[in-house]
Amino acid sequence: MSHKPFWRNSKVAVIGAGSWGSVLANLAAPNCREVRLWTRSEEQARAINATRFNAQNWPEMRLHERIRAISEPERAFEGGVDVVIWALPSIAARIQAKEFAKYFHGQEILLHATKGIEAGTLKRISQILREEIPCPRVGVISGPNLAKEIARGEPAATVVASHYKEVIEAGQEILTNDRFRVYGDEDVIGVEWAGTLKNILAIASGALDGLKLGWNTRATLITRGLAEMVRFGKAMGAEEGTFLGLAGVGDLLATCSSPDSRNYRVGYGIAEGHKLEDILKNLGSTAEGVGTAETVHKFAQAKGILMPITEGVYHLIHQDLTAREVLHKLMTRPLVE
Amino acid sequence: MTSPIVRFDPHPMVNGPLTTFNQVRPKILTDVVQRTMQDLSQIPSESLLSEALFLERMRMKRLRANLFTMPRKRRDQKLWGRVQSGIVRSAAEVDRKRMLEGVVGHLADEIGGHFNPKIYSFATAALPYGFSWLLNAASVQRFLPWGMTQSLRERLRIVGNVDEIRKLSQKGTILLVPTHQSNIDSLLIGWIIHLMGLPPFAYGAGLNLFSNPFFSFFMSNLGAYTVDRQKSNTIYKHTLKNYSTRILREGVHSIFFPGGGRSRSGAIESRLKLGLLGTGLEAQIENLREGKPNPNIYIVPMVMSYNFVLEASSLIEDYLVEAGKHRFIAIDEDSLPQAKLVNFLWKLFSSQSGVTVRIGKAMDIFGNFVDENGMSIGPNGTTIDAKRWLTTRGELRPEAQRDQEFTRELGSRIVDRFHKENTVLSSHLVAFAFFETLKARYPDLDLYRFMRLTLPQRSFPFKEFLESAERYHQTVMQAADRGNLYMEDELRFAPTEKWVRDGIAQLGIFHEAGVIKIHDQSVYTEDMSLLYYYRNRLTGYGFGDEVKK
Repeated sequence: MSHKPFWRNSKVAVIGAGSWGSVLANLAAPNCREVRLWTRSEEQARAINATRFNAQNWPEMRLHERIRAISEPERAFEGGVDVVIWALPSIAARIQAKEFAKYFHGQEILLHATKGIEAGTLKRISQILREEIPCPRVGVISGPNLAKEIARGEPAATVVASHYKEVIEAGQEILTNDRFRVYGDEDVIGVEWAGTLKNILAIASGALDGLKLGWNTRATLITRGLAEMVRFGKAMGAEEGTFLGLAGVGDLLATCSSPDSRNYRVGYGIAEGHKLEDILKNLGSTAEGVGTAETVHKFAQAKGILMPITEGVYHLIHQDLTAREVLHKLMTRPLVE
Repeated sequence: MTSPIVRFDPHPMVNGPLTTFNQVRPKILTDVVQRTMQDLSQIPSESLLSEALFLERMRMKRLRANLFTMPRKRRDQKLWGRVQSGIVRSAAEVDRKRMLEGVVGHLADEIGGHFNPKIYSFATAALPYGFSWLLNAASVQRFLPWGMTQSLRERLRIVGNVDEIRKLSQKGTILLVPTHQSNIDSLLIGWIIHLMGLPPFAYGAGLNLFSNPFFSFFMSNLGAYTVDRQKSNTIYKHTLKNYSTRILREGVHSIFFPGGGRSRSGAIESRLKLGLLGTGLEAQIENLREGKPNPNIYIVPMVMSYNFVLEASSLIEDYLVEAGKHRFIAIDEDSLPQAKLVNFLWKLFSSQSGVTVRIGKAMDIFGNFVDENGMSIGPNGTTIDAKRWLTTRGELRPEAQRDQEFTRELGSRIVDRFHKENTVLSSHLVAFAFFETLKARYPDLDLYRFMRLTLPQRSFPFKEFLESAERYHQTVMQAADRGNLYMEDELRFAPTEKWVRDGIAQLGIFHEAGVIKIHDQSVYTEDMSLLYYYRNRLTGYGFGDEVKK
């Protein structure tokens, strides 16, 4: 039973024309009738429509002709859309969700591609969207997806997780091509937390490279870091197996190994002795792991979940310990029997 | 606070779809059979019949029928005897489909209720007199301070969104979902509905209640349909579901106990049976597809709070056995012995006690709140069009997996509302505070060892208890201010010692063993299980942890 004709004829709105949002729009475009790429900047929208390039993020990636950049939200939702891909950073997720609520009709499939959580409340992005937007069918896209590589058309895969089968179906039908595979999963909690927690380890991984350390150290970090992710994830209601999949260890390996990751660059910069504010200023965009490390560390401490690496990263970003001191502290913890 | 909108004087029946139910009953049953046959068409009839035959034989073997349930048991035995002799013959000789249809027909007829307006009018008129009589006789005996002026109004407090539910009953079909603590619920609910000025509701009542000829006569003529939780076969489950959907589609306001049976632990339901709940969604989808004028089904939670519960002892024993050892429990039909019931009602109404019934905020079938015009309200000032929510791939239609998920979400919304619409009474809080204070003295004991403490170990100074109770009172009051639950006024504004003594007295009215007793400056419990039962009413709010901090 194929529902292809419906999806081929569908309308997709991508909210956020950042680096990942633009790539997702380009993945979706060949699989549907039209993609509306929303960006807050009217100027950027005009430039994209005129040049077919998103000069800010991808000067070398041509955008598909079915993509139309739009800066007014009402026009992005005009006449109703079938799929909405939410590609905004986690920082202002709730405020933006409140703004967009009125444009939704309720039949949309809402997929978000945001890695992060709400500081303080520990709410996942899908929870925030569900609370603020009158649209029940929500899912998440997450996996080892360094935008740059996918923009170049290198083979990769991702996970779409939702409690609703039709959300998974939409994700698969809209995003799949011969170089991009989409796997379905029901463990929304696990997929969202895996995508969030790995950002903390990406900072740690960057710090190791900043200290010019080798593969043994990194392998130890990734393995023990994964154990922390599983412990925390299970406490939040996730399934252990999810962390062994693409959205878990898959994403973790990609993020911890790539110097392109913003979180990695934060860790690298700190290990080299730079100030956090300066690093963030140079990045020009957010690094989700910074806020996440703080929130997760505090919660884990309150609940008695053992997360020594996360604690180390917390000290790194607060700059009350140097990278070497953190490493020393981790290595001299009492041995586990 | 007493709701002035509830009329307590005798008043006529409000007409509703159920009033003319008996005229459409045959048509409804035919539809149910047809629909059930359609549902089951994917499964071979022979395997359905064999499964049901086996399960029914097992059930009847365990069933201890009484004088009144005997005829029903005999009818069942006859039916399944016929099925057995049919199934051993070849399919060419005996058509399996027709056999299945016969079984479905039998079950649908068993489930299907009747409605007799005359009996309804009689019952609703007689019931308050019965209660008032009981009440006044009891009050006369007790003289002061409440005396004869004590009115029913003060004993049965119906509070909350009564006006709203009345308005909504004109705009769509109400599905009332109450918490379930006691068999008394089933008796009071019909009357509560009437008092609120609503047309009669249909409700699924446990078969055990029909074992008493008195109740059986009234209930089966007041729109109650039977739910036999012991029947676990596929055919029965489908038939029951389709019956429920069908009468909702007929526009008959209905009542389900979403928790299934009575709460064994005494806690407010935290897990619901989603099967029956899903029929609301199913009915609305079909209504929308048919373009019916008032297609909406409104879910209205209702929380009933008793200071003491008729079956508390047997419920908590069941719960402890089940939770402890998963031991096999024989089916106990648990019929209501009249003497016990009269004794309970007497005590309930003769004391300064009563029942608080809170009508919760109405929701749509997804768990969104609805306004009094029946519009679903979404977050951030949005309104919700159910048709859009029920559209999959561009088409408005049922979609099994999606609908299951919608129902799961609705279930968790109901659980949340149950907790928030709960009214804390003094007996609940005193039991909770006492249990938690005692438990804190034995931090290393697990529940089962804790429950077996000796009498001297279960007592401590009354003064110490008052201090602790005060802290729990504070915590619950803060939660009430945050909108996490309600607190009755007498409890909220009373000085500590007063509400503590009142709560203890309430528990003492009905339970001979002291749930909590004060003697010689110390306070203790004689019945740990009952204490645990009443304490459980306040679980699920995190009060224990909050106070310890």
